[in-house]
Amino acid sequence: MRPLTEPELRAVLEKLTVYVHSSVKDLLLPLDNSSKPDRFVFRLSQSRVYYVRLSIANLATSIPRDQLLSCGTCLGRFTKSGKFRLHVTALSVIAPIARNKLYVRPNGVMPFLYGGNVVKAHISRWPQDCPEHSGVVVFDSDEIPLGFGIAAKSQAVLQRSGPTDIVCFRQADCGEYLRDEDTLFTA
Amino acid sequence: MAAKPGSAKPKASSGKDSKKSKPLSSASKVSKKSTKRPPPREVKSKARTEASQLKKTKKREYTEAELDLPKLNTITPVGVVKPKGKKKGKVFVDDQEGMATILAIVNAEKEGQIESKMQKARQLEEIREAKRKEAEARHAQKKNKLEETKTAIRQKRKRRGDGNEVAKADAVVAQTNGSSSKSKGKRKSVSFA
Repeated sequence: MRPLTEPELRAVLEKLTVYVHSSVKDLLLPLDNSSKPDRFVFRLSQSRVYYVRLSIANLATSIPRDQLLSCGTCLGRFTKSGKFRLHVTALSVIAPIARNKLYVRPNGVMPFLYGGNVVKAHISRWPQDCPEHSGVVVFDSDEIPLGFGIAAKSQAVLQRSGPTDIVCFRQADCGEYLRDEDTLFTA
Repeated sequence: MAAKPGSAKPKASSGKDSKKSKPLSSASKVSKKSTKRPPPREVKSKARTEASQLKKTKKREYTEAELDLPKLNTITPVGVVKPKGKKKGKVFVDDQEGMATILAIVNAEKEGQIESKMQKARQLEEIREAKRKEAEARHAQKKNKLEETKTAIRQKRKRRGDGNEVAKADAVVAQTNGSSSKSKGKRKSVSFA
C-alpha cells in the first residue's frame, strides 16, 4: 500500500469532482482541531484506491502487500491505461456530498438496480440547473443512495423529452454488489 | 523406365574395385603396426545447441565517454542536462499542502469546464428560443395573410351580389313563406287504429 503520485491523485480527484464538484475538499479535511489531527488519505494497493484514515493506513504498513486484501473504503481502481474507474463502493463517500441528486420513483428503483439506465417516466425529482453530461447521484424516494450516473439531458431538453427517453446513463448501482461479487473486491 | 544395359556396367566394375581394395587395406595395417601410431580419435564438432555453444560471449560495452562521440550525435540533446542527486522513481503526494494545491487546480479546471458548459447550454437555449419566436412570428404572419385574403374574397362576393340583392331577398322571403305555409298545412300525424 502506497500513497498516490501526482498524476494518480489528479485522476482520482477529477473523477470525484464530476459527482461532488467543489465539495471534494471536504473529503480531505482534518477530523479534529488537535495539533496532529487524524485525516482521511488516499492509498493505492494492487491498482485499487482506498479512502482510509491516516492512522489506520500507518498501521496497515505492517501487513505485507500481497496479503493486504482491503483497507478502508475502496473508491475504485486504475485501469491498465492509467484511467480511474469509480466503483459502487465509493457511493457511501460521494452520496452525502453529492451536488446533483436525482430521485427515482418506486417503480424505477428495480430497473435501475438491475443495471438499467434511468428513463424520464421513473424520475420524481431532477436536480436544478444540471447541465448535460454532468455526474448525478441516484436516490430513491426515501433518500437512500442507489448508485450514480451521468445526466443524458439538460433540464431544458428534459422538459421536451418523452416518458421513455433516457435521462441518466448508469455508471454504478448497488446491484453490482451481487452481480459483480466475484470481481468487486479482488482483482 | 527400364534400366539400360550399359548403365549397369560401371556398378559391376565398382564391386570389383571394392574386392581389390581389401588387400590394399591389409597392406596399410601392416604399415601401421610398424610405426605404432596411437589409435585414431573421433573428433566431433560441437553441436550448435550445446550449452557451451549457446553461451554468449560477453562483449565489451563502451560508454559514451569512451566512444568520444561528437556531442551533436548523442541521444540526449546538448541543452538537456539530467538532474543529479534527484530521487529516482515515483514522487508521492501525501502532505496536506501538496494535496490541497492539486485539489485547487483540479477544482478550478472542473469549475471552468462546468461553467463553460452551462454558458454554452444557455447560449444554445437562447438561440433555440429566438428560432422558436421567429417561427411563431412567421406562422402568425402567414395566418394573417390568409385571413386577409379570406376577407377580401368575401368582400368581392358581397360586391357582386349587390345588384341581385333585391331579387334574392324576394326569393328568400317567398321561400320562407312557402315553407311556413307548407309546414302549417301538411303536418304529419300518427294515429293508431
